[in-house]
Amino acid sequence: MLYVAAYLLAFLAPLLVLLPGRRATALLAWLSMEAAAVLLALQGVLAMGNGKLPLIQLQLPVIGAFTFAQTPLAGLLILITAVVFAMALPFVAHDANAYPRGRQALFCAVVLLTLLGMTGFFLANSVAAFLFCWEIAALSIWAIITFETRQSKPVAAGLLTLALSEIGSLAGLAGLLLLAAGAHNDRFGPIIAAIPTLSPSLLLAAGLLAFFGFGMKAGVIPLNVWLPEAHGTAPRSTSPILSGATLNLGLYAFLRIDAPIALHMPHLGLIILSTGALTALIGILYALVERDMKRLLAQSSVENMGIATAGIGAGLTFTAYGYPLLGGASLVAGLYHMINHSSFKTLLFLGAGGIDAATGTHNLDALGGLMKRLPVLSSLFVVGALAIAALPPFNGFVSEWLLLESLLRVVEIPEVPVRITFALSGALLALTSGLALTCFIMLPGMALLGLPRSAAARTARPAPLAVTLPMALLALLCLLLGVGATAVIPVLGRIAEGILGSNPTASLVPDFFSTSSSIPTAVRHALAPLGTEIGASWLPLRGLAVMHLNSSAPVVYAMSTLLTMLVLLSLLGIVWLLVRGLRQRRVTRATLWDAGLLRLRPEMTYTASTFAAPVRVVFRSFLRPSVQSTEDRQGAFLLNLRHSEVINNISERLIIGPIRSAATAIAALLARMHHGKINTYAAYILAAMVLALLFLIAANS
Amino acid sequence: MSEATGLRHWLQSYPALSLSEVDGYCLRLVCTPEQLPGLARELVEHWQAEFATLLVEEHPDRALSFTVRYYFYAPRQHHLLELRIAVAPGTELPAISDAVHAADWHEREAWDLYGLRFTGHPFLGDFVLHDEDWPEGVDPMLHRFSARQRPAGEGSGEHWQPPQLLEEEGAIVFPVGPIWGDYNESGLWLLETPGEQIRYLHTRLFYKYRAVEKIAEGQAVDQAFLLSERFAGAAALAHSWAYCQAVERIAGCTAPRRAEQLRILFAELERARHHCANIAEICGSTALSVAKAMAQNLVEDWLRLSAQVAGHRYLFGLLCPGGLRQDLHAEQRNLWIAALARLRRDLLALREHLETSSSFLDRIEEMGTLTADFAKTFGVVGPIARASGRALDLRRHLPYGAYSEWEPEIPTEEQGDGYARLRIFFAETLISIGLMEEMLTQIADGPIRTECPIRAGHALAWVEAPSGATFHWLRLAEDGSVLRLRLGTPGFRNWHAFERAIQGAAFQDFPIILATWGLSVAENDR
Amino acid sequence: MSFWPWYGLRGGQQTESWEASVPAGASPGRPVAAARQDADQFSMICPTQALRAQAGRVEVEMDHCVHCQRCRQGADPLPWQEDAAWSHWRDTHAQPFPARFRRSLHVLYVDAGACGACVNEIRLVDAPVYNLHRFGIFITATPRDADVLLVSGPITDAMHRAVVKAYAAMPEPKRVLGMGVCAINGGVFGKSFASHGGLEGVIPVDLWIPGCPPPPLAIIEGLRRLMGWTNGPAEREVR
Ligand code: SF4
Ligand code: SF4
Repeated sequence: MLYVAAYLLAFLAPLLVLLPGRRATALLAWLSMEAAAVLLALQGVLAMGNGKLPLIQLQLPVIGAFTFAQTPLAGLLILITAVVFAMALPFVAHDANAYPRGRQALFCAVVLLTLLGMTGFFLANSVAAFLFCWEIAALSIWAIITFETRQSKPVAAGLLTLALSEIGSLAGLAGLLLLAAGAHNDRFGPIIAAIPTLSPSLLLAAGLLAFFGFGMKAGVIPLNVWLPEAHGTAPRSTSPILSGATLNLGLYAFLRIDAPIALHMPHLGLIILSTGALTALIGILYALVERDMKRLLAQSSVENMGIATAGIGAGLTFTAYGYPLLGGASLVAGLYHMINHSSFKTLLFLGAGGIDAATGTHNLDALGGLMKRLPVLSSLFVVGALAIAALPPFNGFVSEWLLLESLLRVVEIPEVPVRITFALSGALLALTSGLALTCFIMLPGMALLGLPRSAAARTARPAPLAVTLPMALLALLCLLLGVGATAVIPVLGRIAEGILGSNPTASLVPDFFSTSSSIPTAVRHALAPLGTEIGASWLPLRGLAVMHLNSSAPVVYAMSTLLTMLVLLSLLGIVWLLVRGLRQRRVTRATLWDAGLLRLRPEMTYTASTFAAPVRVVFRSFLRPSVQSTEDRQGAFLLNLRHSEVINNISERLIIGPIRSAATAIAALLARMHHGKINTYAAYILAAMVLALLFLIAANS
Repeated sequence: MSEATGLRHWLQSYPALSLSEVDGYCLRLVCTPEQLPGLARELVEHWQAEFATLLVEEHPDRALSFTVRYYFYAPRQHHLLELRIAVAPGTELPAISDAVHAADWHEREAWDLYGLRFTGHPFLGDFVLHDEDWPEGVDPMLHRFSARQRPAGEGSGEHWQPPQLLEEEGAIVFPVGPIWGDYNESGLWLLETPGEQIRYLHTRLFYKYRAVEKIAEGQAVDQAFLLSERFAGAAALAHSWAYCQAVERIAGCTAPRRAEQLRILFAELERARHHCANIAEICGSTALSVAKAMAQNLVEDWLRLSAQVAGHRYLFGLLCPGGLRQDLHAEQRNLWIAALARLRRDLLALREHLETSSSFLDRIEEMGTLTADFAKTFGVVGPIARASGRALDLRRHLPYGAYSEWEPEIPTEEQGDGYARLRIFFAETLISIGLMEEMLTQIADGPIRTECPIRAGHALAWVEAPSGATFHWLRLAEDGSVLRLRLGTPGFRNWHAFERAIQGAAFQDFPIILATWGLSVAENDR
Repeated sequence: MSFWPWYGLRGGQQTESWEASVPAGASPGRPVAAARQDADQFSMICPTQALRAQAGRVEVEMDHCVHCQRCRQGADPLPWQEDAAWSHWRDTHAQPFPARFRRSLHVLYVDAGACGACVNEIRLVDAPVYNLHRFGIFITATPRDADVLLVSGPITDAMHRAVVKAYAAMPEPKRVLGMGVCAINGGVFGKSFASHGGLEGVIPVDLWIPGCPPPPLAIIEGLRRLMGWTNGPAEREVR
């Protein structure tokens, strides 16, 4: 099996690093890592094509069942993870070269352990295996994040939030254990089968624990502050992995546990939907006020995970209310967005890392003007930004639009509260996409355009090939996922079928072209004027996408994006011809109009802060910055003005802050109790024993 | 003891100060550099005196070749004060602008143009002469510098950095100008901003510096008259009036009664047109095009009236030392009277429309507020001061010409915001109309001009120009040529305070606030 | 509620006919050359040497006249003409725009040290009575959109670079219009260390509009001349 080969290669790599010789071994190690990733990706593809397939069936003493099985969903996640790793590994290897030999090997080992742990986790099929792989992945991620900066002071704060996120995974595991205890079994199959028989309150508790607990790993509110903190401190070469791959862990974990529950409990789906939408909005709001590229991208990951979560929530709700096709469509949108996020976020983080490597900074306010100095990297970065801003023809557009369209179909559900939830979530998501557009105009605009705002940006070195080449591949992928949506949706449709029991492909991308199409001829003829039959003989993909083909009047939903793009391209071509091609034109290059100044200076051009200022002003009551303002005077002269606005994350403000101060208060109380008087200690012990006794008595009666 | 004599007694008892009175209009005090800051502070803080202008004169033949004169006036005592100090080049004077902040720009100007340094002033340099273009250490007002030629040498060029006071992450210095907007006067406004809000504004003017004070030197009185008229053409009559007064004061002549009355008439005509033009700008800045058109009609009507009664739309060429160059005929007077009624009606209609237009008021209320405190600290003058609660008007406090007979009403407003300034512009226009109507029926008969001999000497003269208190100082040589012309303009005073009114305003309100201040760059730059 | 549209409509059409004679007060007018006995002596009263005695006549050089009115005041003045068609080409090479600009023109106005009167007059060209937009002329804030650079003021030292840069930033075809005596030769400010004394030698000029200041009618007439129109407001008959 490919798994075995991949795992062997992966274990080999760190050892190869330790061999004598420098360049050759490094290359060898990197090749074996790369090969492991590619093999896993291949296996992922295979897995998506097959049904469920048991892999390892162990019954261990004490621990219990330790089983792994391959499903199409697992295959998809393995594929995504492996591709992200494959794209990120060259940069990891490039940066690892800076470490001494031993640390280099350690670094390789940690990165690969993450890959292996994640793969195992996607395949896990029993509680013990699930727990085991989850912890392996979590620990290795923690090791990556703190790899470079374990000692430094600001990291301590980051570590605290990381520790808090660990509480989240504990909560998720508690939810899983609740289910297992209720079902008296520790294999996933029987647990899921037992769900309809369990008490609703237990189900709800388990579902919420699993969603909010595991969701925390994916950045779902309320406890998502750890994410930008952690990404801010992680080595830059691992950010693509952390964001593009590991966030999917949380999504997968709660999808696995909550999907079967939510199918019996529509409320849970609604909670997932609305939480996801809220997460998305909060994520993008904080992304907009960040000035650090890495933290901005991390906040935007929160946003995208929120969108994917909302898709999943909507899918589960629709299905629970008896609209499997709509449910399938939403779930497909959610999964599609997860894929998209992995592709463009890996691309953007690679770009940010490359910019960091070229200039030595990832502070947006210190960048600018890189388009001229790093043209290739910059153009690819722009592609990533267009994709994440959901602009066609790139992939972000497909999933976000699909999701918004499916949310609109809530009109089919008669319950008013459900409609309201959907409408509000849809509104939040729409606002999010608007803000995301602003944010990702700002990101490339401030980093790449204008004048360089620091010496670092002025003297940028060329970016390493280890960054630009994978970026090029990822940019291509973003385009393909965008224009080839009609080819991707059927695959996701099959995976959705595995989760919800129905396949929405036929209604999302009906097979207009094949002669054996299930679509009634009347419908086909009715839709022909819309262009459904165009290209029937030569387009490789499915044609027009139509939603909800259950009644006589289909709701037109989407055109083939490939077709759209062809139309778009030809329109652009015509415009170009009219403007440029047919007339002889002389192009004059003139300098920038600077209103007659001697020279426009870098400090006169927009920064990320100034660009996002309107957002800061509009959402001021939400962001609630703590403002400090001082000035120096000499008589009536104003000599100096200092102003700072620190924006604290809302969950930091409302949840973590109080927890932290409570913890400090308790610690202080404890410290006060330790004043060293023997008789007081005796009193404490006595009091504790009395309490314990009382508790026992109460428990026994 | 009256306040006036109180001030005089106080000055007389001030240790080591020599006090003399000149021509009955001015108390002259010779003081030492050490006495200067304390004295200035005391005058402003205790005696409520207002700083008028600062004047440097070079006498290359003397050992202490710089004579520096600080002019103050005490509105309540109707007194004008001159503090005079003689210093040698290279010595420093203590800055008074800590305490008398209105002198801030005057000190910067003197440093740029004369190389006179003021100890303790934190921002000397890069003011009138821009660092990026002007060679270091060349002081053009010195006699040895020829006005004909631009000096050889370069400024700091590309190394010039915009001033920055603000320390805030991601904040920028957003430049507006020098060429900006549709029909704006040139100047550079550097907005320090983190985006959206203006935290601080650096007003960098003197892009239109024509060195009028320098090129006037050596010109004949009649020739320099043209400069006094046209360095700020929108208030040509006011400035040329002050110039004529200075010549008259040196010569010891007075204009005939009819001429003094006509001067007031034309000055009020100019004030009305000036204020209406400001109103048009305010309406335009809020994109209220109908209101702007209505106000433009008023401006055009005033201009046409001016051309019909004075031959020139901007009242150029009307005055001369000793009186007026041309008389007002009976038909012209009747035309004027008829026009005033029409203009008042249109003005009232416009005011009523504006005051009931809430969306318009929203944009100027609480905009660009200058608090009464700042107004005092910066010593702003004219309508800006009156909109911030300071009832200052030279026509009342140091009456000149026939204003002692024809005392105009002085409107004030307390808020100091854009709307208060708009109300002041309307109120003063109406008061001017009223004054014109009253005077037009009572103009004395008689000559319009007395012969005014040209003599050597110097004098200070003042006028309440449409935009505020103006102090011009003139020294003439025996042959009637100008030795020194000092143009102390209201624009120079008020632009100084503008930066404080803009603090905290939103970006997009900048042009509106600018319009409500209605300041002239030409008048500042000279 | 906004009643502004109603106020506007109620005012009716206020724009004055282009070809009618110059309305009273719309132009300060200008001195006209005349034969006189005392030509030599009379021409001395002009402070800017705009009057020249030539063969018993007083000739007027409009490019130097600053409207000081001295030749109009007194007992025996020069004849005075109330018109506004004052613009003239700088030299014989200067040409109007190609015909396609006849109905649309964009103008960038640059104040290079103007005194406020010129600025005020340019601000009035879009007043209802003049309504420059009816000719398809628009004022723009950027040289990128501008066909015409309209400059007033004596070109101060500090604005010199800005004027050159603005001209360079304009797309071809472009024309330069110097407005006011100051832009022609520095006017009363002349040439000094602080001012260049007019546009000559700064950027190539096509058309001059003399006057101090040229009234709105004269400005519009100049702009129309650049567009290729030659008809202007007729001289006002003074009764
Ligand atoms: S108006 Fe004045 S400047 Fe013009 S020609 Fe007559 S005297 Fe000369
Ligand atoms: S031409 Fe006359 S009106 Fe125009 S700027 Fe020069 S002095 Fe002022």
